[in-house]
Amino acid sequence: MRPFRYEHATDRAQALQLATTPTAAAAAAHVAAPVQYLAGGTTLIDLMKIDVMRPEVLVDINALAGQHGEIRADDAGLRLGALVRMADAAAHPAVLRDYPAIAQSLQLAASPQLRNMASLGGNVLQRTRCNYFRDVTYAACNKRSPGSGCAAMEGVNRRLAVLGVSDRCIANYPGDFANALAALGAAVDVEGPKGRRVMAFEDLHRLPGETPHVETNLAPGELITGFSVPAGPWTRRSLYLKIRDRQSYEFALASAAVALDLDGGVVREARVGLGGLSAKPWRSHEAEAALRGKPLTEASAQAAAEAAFAKAVVHGETRFKPELGRRTLVRALLQCAAMEI
Amino acid sequence: MADDAGRRPGGHIGQPHVRIDGRAKVTGQARYPADEPTTNPAWAYLVISAIARGRIRGMQLEAARAVPGVLDILNHANVGQEVKSPMGPDGKPTTTTLESDRVWHDGQIVAVVVADSFEAAREAAYKVVVDYEAETPSATFDSPGVQAEALKTDATHSYPLKGDAAAAFAAAPVKLDARYETPTQHHNPLELFTTTCVWDGPKLTIYEPTQSMWGLKAAVARQLGLDLVNVRTVSRFAGGGFGGKGAPTSRTAWIAVAARRVKRPVKLVPTRDQGFTIATYRAETQHHIQLGAERSGRLLALSHEGWEISSRPSSYNVSGTTTTARMYACPNIATKVSVVHADRNTPGFMRAPPDTPYMFPLECAMDELAHELGIDPIELRRINDTQTDPVDGKPYSSRSLMKCFDAAAAKFGWARRNPQPGSMRDGDWLVGYGCATSCYPSNIGPATARLSLTPQGKAAIQLAGHEIGTGAYTLMAIVVADRLGLAVEDVQVTMGDSDLPPVPGAGGSNNAASTTNVAAKACEEIRHKLALAAVQAGAGIFAGADPAGLKLADRALVGPGGRREPLATAVSRISSGAIEVHVENVPQGLAPDAAAALYQGKMSMSRGAERKDVTAFAFGAQFVEVRVHRRTCEIRAPRAVSAFAAGTIVNPLAAHSQYQGGAIWGISSALHEATEIDRRVARYVNDNIADYLIPVNADIGEMDVIFVPEEDHRVNPLGIKGIGEIGIVGMNAAVANAVFHATGRRIRKLPIRIEDLL
Amino acid sequence: MELTLNINGRDHRLSLDPRTTLLDALRDHIGLTGSKKGCDQGQCGACTVHLEGRRVLACLTLAATVQGRPVTTVEGLAHGEALHPMQAAFITHDAFQCGYCTPGQLMSAVACVHEGHARNDDAIREYMSGNLCRCGAYPKIVAAIRDAAPQMAPKTGRV
Repeated sequence: MRPFRYEHATDRAQALQLATTPTAAAAAAHVAAPVQYLAGGTTLIDLMKIDVMRPEVLVDINALAGQHGEIRADDAGLRLGALVRMADAAAHPAVLRDYPAIAQSLQLAASPQLRNMASLGGNVLQRTRCNYFRDVTYAACNKRSPGSGCAAMEGVNRRLAVLGVSDRCIANYPGDFANALAALGAAVDVEGPKGRRVMAFEDLHRLPGETPHVETNLAPGELITGFSVPAGPWTRRSLYLKIRDRQSYEFALASAAVALDLDGGVVREARVGLGGLSAKPWRSHEAEAALRGKPLTEASAQAAAEAAFAKAVVHGETRFKPELGRRTLVRALLQCAAMEI
Repeated sequence: MADDAGRRPGGHIGQPHVRIDGRAKVTGQARYPADEPTTNPAWAYLVISAIARGRIRGMQLEAARAVPGVLDILNHANVGQEVKSPMGPDGKPTTTTLESDRVWHDGQIVAVVVADSFEAAREAAYKVVVDYEAETPSATFDSPGVQAEALKTDATHSYPLKGDAAAAFAAAPVKLDARYETPTQHHNPLELFTTTCVWDGPKLTIYEPTQSMWGLKAAVARQLGLDLVNVRTVSRFAGGGFGGKGAPTSRTAWIAVAARRVKRPVKLVPTRDQGFTIATYRAETQHHIQLGAERSGRLLALSHEGWEISSRPSSYNVSGTTTTARMYACPNIATKVSVVHADRNTPGFMRAPPDTPYMFPLECAMDELAHELGIDPIELRRINDTQTDPVDGKPYSSRSLMKCFDAAAAKFGWARRNPQPGSMRDGDWLVGYGCATSCYPSNIGPATARLSLTPQGKAAIQLAGHEIGTGAYTLMAIVVADRLGLAVEDVQVTMGDSDLPPVPGAGGSNNAASTTNVAAKACEEIRHKLALAAVQAGAGIFAGADPAGLKLADRALVGPGGRREPLATAVSRISSGAIEVHVENVPQGLAPDAAAALYQGKMSMSRGAERKDVTAFAFGAQFVEVRVHRRTCEIRAPRAVSAFAAGTIVNPLAAHSQYQGGAIWGISSALHEATEIDRRVARYVNDNIADYLIPVNADIGEMDVIFVPEEDHRVNPLGIKGIGEIGIVGMNAAVANAVFHATGRRIRKLPIRIEDLL
Repeated sequence: MELTLNINGRDHRLSLDPRTTLLDALRDHIGLTGSKKGCDQGQCGACTVHLEGRRVLACLTLAATVQGRPVTTVEGLAHGEALHPMQAAFITHDAFQCGYCTPGQLMSAVACVHEGHARNDDAIREYMSGNLCRCGAYPKIVAAIRDAAPQMAPKTGRV
């Protein structure tokens, strides 16, 4: 870990002020800014220990929980403050009842200790677990060191992505909660030096494309303050299915966040998020379109799964992942349709 | 004293007892080596190589040296001459570190940064720039540039041959011919590979978790050119061993050198990923098995050829054909093993080193043969069971294999198994039952101990033994209490310090046999002294009696007819303070100087597969249920039953834990564990315990263990066979066999994963 | 930086590098070595402590962030000579072998009960999955928690 200055912000205004410096503004990406916000620290401290992240200033924003630590559910939808801890959101009665896919995505992630620590805002910004990204002695990592290449393409890459990858990067987005947010069409509240803005959660993360080091559409110094998930007739019939080698405490090999609004057996509206095998939190509009207006059957679920993975690109060990992803989605859809609500 | 073996009515041996070190372990007071208080330590951080083969041209150290608090940076240029190269796990030359500019493998120690704080040392380590002259490395099997070496029989390994296996196989009515693979695995004990070195004048104290107190002491003394008396190793508790702390590693001598240079204690707490390359691992293996059988199932031919990876300079190997050739009656046996040298760190002992990777192919092949023949897998083992070693005809000291199968099968509910693969379902889950034979050779080494007894009935036993989780402290207390007629709580056990009498390293499941037999012998010496004094004392109640007829029980010397003399009287007759003995035990078949050699750090071992009188193995049968989701193919193992017969069990509570933990290791090995290697650069990629998977609590369901009673009067005086390793051995194949039963898919390469079954 | 840490009810004034984790502060600066370092990157749970009554990983927590917030470690579980019911149950059930993961297991186990996640074996298994045990004591850990849970006093203060 490189030396840094530790600052404790007592409110949002102070946090933003501490993070707004000329060098910060000039950073190539939010993750590369010399000032980083510290909440749960479960990603940041880890990456600093292994020398992947080298911020010069840490701004402790935990005291902002008073401003941004609320969970509120009403007719319009669900509001989650960015400093709500994963465990608290997962256990909230309204989330459990009305947004099971969100509760499950949180509940199935990490471990009880990590869920007690990690903030929702930090969780969605969790960075890839690609081993070639995390080990700084590999020279080739376009995400860590732009233009250096990608050691993962021909390497040990079983855990990496097949959706949204580019010829520069096949790192996967490792989280769960974000896939549920993407599926349910959530929005994210952002505060920055230039004020407040709201963006679609789907737009928070960027595809790697030519610039895998950028990762999000946050400007340096911007702070996520909360999430809103719109209400909809599909949120109650929703679930998060996570497939992995271990029963618990492991990142997904494949996951699906699905929500269905059914009219009899016919799909009025479907929401499909995918995880574990995508470059960013993934919403499959293709799968949703394939389901809309169709009876939810094994065949239509399979067709949706085919649509979701039509553009999958595999490298070496990821060859099995489109098939695992399809099966995961089919299973999730059928299970969701069978939910008693 | 064969008739004095094992359990006695009313004794402590065989009675479950909670761990006497339990309180220390649950209160955080148990001191693992990195927990030992040291005054003003400096901190070491390792710099490891980023290439797997080549040389170090030079290092740029200015930026690192400029980090505030940095005291020293050890590298081959400034300390290369200060230590002799270490020896590998087989006692022969191995890879080197700072001794030269040579890089043998990825992750090799190339520099040691020493600083005032851990933070400064780590920061400076990140700023060390190494200039390499890199060559293309060879990573593993089939990589260009690896070199195969066919092994010949030597002092530790043999390659049994009997009859004409090739001809018998060719002529056999039923044939099974298959190839299998097992992966690279790392021990990953939860404790890191820490070392703290403290100099006091010429005397060096090393706090390091080890499974070999005296082995480490002797190794470091040799490397640094120190007199043995000047090196002390301390490891009161080790946070798991599993073989990984059995052999000395390079790091220790360098930390000692660092401490000498900075004139302060130096503490090293390496990272988890460094543990993958600065210590040893279980090498990946390949196997070719040929079984020839009659239609009745009787084996006619067994051929087992194995290949194992090692480093360039070391031929360390495990050669488990020593075991597989001895499992079943078979008139024609051929075995062969080759080491394949690659640009890797040297492998070493890992739980049941030979038996785990070699029994997996044999026990899968037996299951495949059973399926081919339409014979129940248990019955196929019964048809080929034997009470004599198939290689040389020696009797087994005892072999209760089929009793284990029958007990485990009954408890497991094997009778409910529909033999048709893919036929059993529970909702969306395919259900499979599998079983396999487990075994482990019964080993015992020479050992020494010091034992004292006070008139108040307090005993103290001291030996340089090892508590790595086996319950060794409690084991000693039970045996001493049993033999001296005391309560377990009356026995104080001191271990984990090389200033105490030497015992062999805790490996090969020898610990219980070696240390309990010397403890029992020490107790017998004390009994004999007390008895002799009692019969020679004119005034005592035993005056003139036969000393052999006097026993110690219930804090008294007890004679024929139940006449009792209080312990206080008996002991006080000899000493007012304490009576103390120092005892050496050299098991049958070992050289008479084997105990003396312990004091030079040299261990000899009577190995169960290679004894002159008998062949001594513990046996077991392991059963497991697996479930495979019909769509997404996750594999879960919700329940298992293992039955073992391993002679005398001293503490059934801790033994149960050992067996159960071993069985969990087997499930882990079959379904989870594999170190992934980037073949381009010969580097371990998943070198952390989020990506190197071991089971979590939710992966483990019911894990039944059955103790099959067995009295073995030939294996050693106490009849102890050792239990630490047998638990893992059969479970690998049992899982693979269950997966086949669930799905009809025969996976011959471990670990079995989702993608194998999609 | 100068800071005060409240550990097991006692204040410790320390002068620390801001990079110091809570785990290193406990082990190397305060001398409480019960909390263990097994990975130092949030993967094993051996460093689990309670922060304001909630279980967290000390290895990923900067000491600077816990100023003024009470921390309980394994050394703070027992009341003098009287073991916490969970500690006693771990001994009775032989719920450990090498003992290295045990402090973290105990802190998680106590929290698991207080959180209300010890209602059945499956819940215990899931909510104890953040603590790796390489010796394979899992079934006995589950049994110990099942036994200790009813003996534990209802929790006072924050969960």
